[in-house]
Amino acid sequence: MPYLYNTPDETREMLDAIGVGSIEDLLAMVPADFRLRRALDLPPAMGEMELDQHMQMLAGQNHDASDKVCFLGGGAYDHFIPAVVDAIGGRGEFYTSYTPYQAEVAQGNLQAMFEYQSLVCRLTGMDISNSSLYDGASAAAEGVMMALASKPGRNRVLAPASLHPEYRETIETYLANLDVEVVTLPTPAGVLSIDELRAALNDQTACVLLQQPNFFGCLEDADAATAAAHEAGALLISVFDPISLGLLKRPGDYNAGDGADIVVAEGHSLGSPLAMGGPYLGILACKEALVRRMPGRIVGQTTDRRGKPCFVLTLQTREQHIRRDKATSNVCSNQALFALRAAVYLAQLGPQGLQETAGLCLQKTRYLADRLATTERFKPAFKVPVFKEFVLRDRECDVDAFIAAALDAGFLAGVPLGRWYPDLDDCLLIAVTEKRTKEELDRFVAFVEALAKDTEAAELGEMAESFG
Amino acid sequence: MRNTQDTQLLFELSHAGRRATRLPACDVPETPVAELLPAGVLAAAPPELPELAEPHVVRHFTNLSTQNMSVDTHFYPLGSCTMKHNPKRNERAAAYFGALHPLQPQESIQGILRLLYEAQQYLCEISGLPACSLQPAAGAQGELAALLVAAAYFKDQGQSHRRKVLVPDSAHGTNPASAVMAGFGVVTVKTKTSGAVDMDDFHAKLDDDIAVFMITNPNTVGIFEPNMGPIAEAVHARGGLIYLDGANMNAILGIARPGDFGVDMQHYNPHKTFSGPHGGGGPGAGPICVTDKLAPYLPAPVVAKRGEGREASGENGGAEYFLDFDRPKTIGRLRSFLGNVGVMVRAYAYIRSHGPDGLRAVSDNAVLNANYLLSRVKHFLPVPQGDRCMHEFVASGAKLKSERGVSAMDLAKRLLDYGYHAPTVYFPLTVKEAIMVEPTETESKATLDAFAETLFKITGEDPDLLHEAPHTTPISRPDEVQAARQPRMCYCG
Repeated sequence: MPYLYNTPDETREMLDAIGVGSIEDLLAMVPADFRLRRALDLPPAMGEMELDQHMQMLAGQNHDASDKVCFLGGGAYDHFIPAVVDAIGGRGEFYTSYTPYQAEVAQGNLQAMFEYQSLVCRLTGMDISNSSLYDGASAAAEGVMMALASKPGRNRVLAPASLHPEYRETIETYLANLDVEVVTLPTPAGVLSIDELRAALNDQTACVLLQQPNFFGCLEDADAATAAAHEAGALLISVFDPISLGLLKRPGDYNAGDGADIVVAEGHSLGSPLAMGGPYLGILACKEALVRRMPGRIVGQTTDRRGKPCFVLTLQTREQHIRRDKATSNVCSNQALFALRAAVYLAQLGPQGLQETAGLCLQKTRYLADRLATTERFKPAFKVPVFKEFVLRDRECDVDAFIAAALDAGFLAGVPLGRWYPDLDDCLLIAVTEKRTKEELDRFVAFVEALAKDTEAAELGEMAESFG
Repeated sequence: MRNTQDTQLLFELSHAGRRATRLPACDVPETPVAELLPAGVLAAAPPELPELAEPHVVRHFTNLSTQNMSVDTHFYPLGSCTMKHNPKRNERAAAYFGALHPLQPQESIQGILRLLYEAQQYLCEISGLPACSLQPAAGAQGELAALLVAAAYFKDQGQSHRRKVLVPDSAHGTNPASAVMAGFGVVTVKTKTSGAVDMDDFHAKLDDDIAVFMITNPNTVGIFEPNMGPIAEAVHARGGLIYLDGANMNAILGIARPGDFGVDMQHYNPHKTFSGPHGGGGPGAGPICVTDKLAPYLPAPVVAKRGEGREASGENGGAEYFLDFDRPKTIGRLRSFLGNVGVMVRAYAYIRSHGPDGLRAVSDNAVLNANYLLSRVKHFLPVPQGDRCMHEFVASGAKLKSERGVSAMDLAKRLLDYGYHAPTVYFPLTVKEAIMVEPTETESKATLDAFAETLFKITGEDPDLLHEAPHTTPISRPDEVQAARQPRMCYCG
């Protein structure tokens, strides 16, 4: 057995010390009726080398962003990860440690989490950040729960269709058994209409969710949405892309500093791999007035008995291990390792690095969007500015066939939108990060153009045959 | 030797104009940002991040890392948390799947889908429950998911009056918190000194409004619940469901299966049972397994398979793995995408490394190590539950407190001086001055002996020395009251 120490002799010594004849005797408290009288039906054990070969075999049955050119986004992005992030995140002292309840032997984790919180606050313009939640979608659901708790008597949540559909689904799951109505505002132009938002707001509205850039990559009028929400006495929950804040206004600065009240984000873009969608990093921060309703762990600075500055978990009376059924949330494990990676990433990039990353995303997205719009196959679905993603309408109305052909040609082409939006079932969501080179973008455009020619040739061929 | 000079924050190390990462020049024709984006959405200034050179970043975080205890560096007998060895081979395996995008065409991800499908099957076999969803992102979210499944099931059955969830007072705090989030009311059931559920109190609180009884078994005192059979029978007779908090599955792998002892739903903590690293507080994962009648309600997607493969040959043959979204009764999703796939890859690698005999040996040795340590500790720290335990035990420092004024916290803090992570203290709430010890199977007899001897030595040390412990750590006894009263949770310098 790979990780056990006890030899037969030691086992004997230990059993003698306990005063029993066998390990079986120690298990006597498990009632006989409940004992499994056979071996588990699992494959036999593999040694390390066999395991490694097996895992490589499974990995070999996948294609991924390392062997295909990745244009997939929709909440998960192929951003660059500096080597420093892997080196620090891979240190066993970080990744094999436990939640820092014993502050004396966890100052490393605690200080890193305090720094993460501070970085998130600076990035977003918020006052307080927790030390992470599971992912962007569940952070959005927790943000909505916070908003509902801080607006007693209000039970209406407004979420435009331009919010990530899986975030909306997650919110709806969390609220399933609570008396709350989630209202979806349609976004046929790709963005929320402020007039429709105003019309939908009423004195029952606890919060408005606004994603910036939104699920389609489009830029919303965040200032006006914030103003509208606040005029109706509702909170504004901003869902943001952390990379975009290299260029875009901080949620705390919306509407001339009036600002979002709660901000949530998927933070995997900050130095964590795509990893098939998880584990990811749920970012949640808020204005100071809401801190007592915040879910999850928070690290605070204090002094020790010798007066030395140090860090501890704080405001724990909000949390489930103290407050049990009266807690703000049931969150226990968070994503501390990925919060650490985000802190290292932001420290490594600095203000210029993040600004340059965002700038490259913007420029390359614009370049590819313009080039693809000139092909016969695609036209833009919306006429609004975008940041790192955009939606194309397929004139052939055969998105699945396009994606399959692109995969064969070496591209992970885009996310089909029909699954979530029936009226966009001829649309593709395409993302371009700083990692995409001009050569890759041009190659993709050339592929699309060649495909159009092939289709034309095939159609002509078919016509020739039918007339033949 | 630890670096004691570098205790500054990142922000204090910052100097205007310093750089670490430089991005490449833009290789496509550039358009001025002001022409691409409306002025109203743009930031007035670059983000307020510290400006550092790469050596700063590396040294800063590396020095921070040396201020942590971890499983790689220290013995971590932290009861309830199962801090066992984190195999390096699993980390390498997980890296093979790091560049997969969750929305790729399914034909391009057959390898990972097969892995996840098999992982679901293994979790089902180990639990004795036939259906599985890997989506929940942590144990607590697994609890929430299962309770939402129960709520949806009762609603479908026309039994929405079942609003009551029974939770033993010894349970993890996540249990009652999850029940409330799922819309239930919580009723606490007492447990006895032995750790067993108080059956009189249980029967007094059981009625036809019960939805779910949430039980941790082996429980948080480290015993197998002696009344498991009668509890499951009584709850089922009233039409309720049994939920197992799977935090302690480490103790019963291949020994007993929750599905066989009356459980309808359970979550796993793969980071405990299957050795995923805890990461300083996460990520974990919280896959759930349920009975057939609850399967339609599981969070979607689940991984499914069409056709039969020749898996032994390394080829999937005619089998095709796919994500099954077509589940009309699903409770929905609890997070984006598929779940914490990276954690499940590690769990899969762990299960494949052990096989059936190996998993059984894991539990046998976890139980052996815990009982051995119990047999050494009980002579100086009474263990109210008795002489036997499963994978962990809870000693009481009450006598030491009353006789010498030394608290469980004092013992815990002093252990840090000797290079041991502290056990869990003051939990479960049902044991006075609780000290909860879980050695796990990946520790040696020599380590257990040394730990027991150190603990014994500490109980005889000068109480004043203990009140002020630890003495050798970078800091000692932070002022938590000050932290909570004048909270400072962000560097605003």
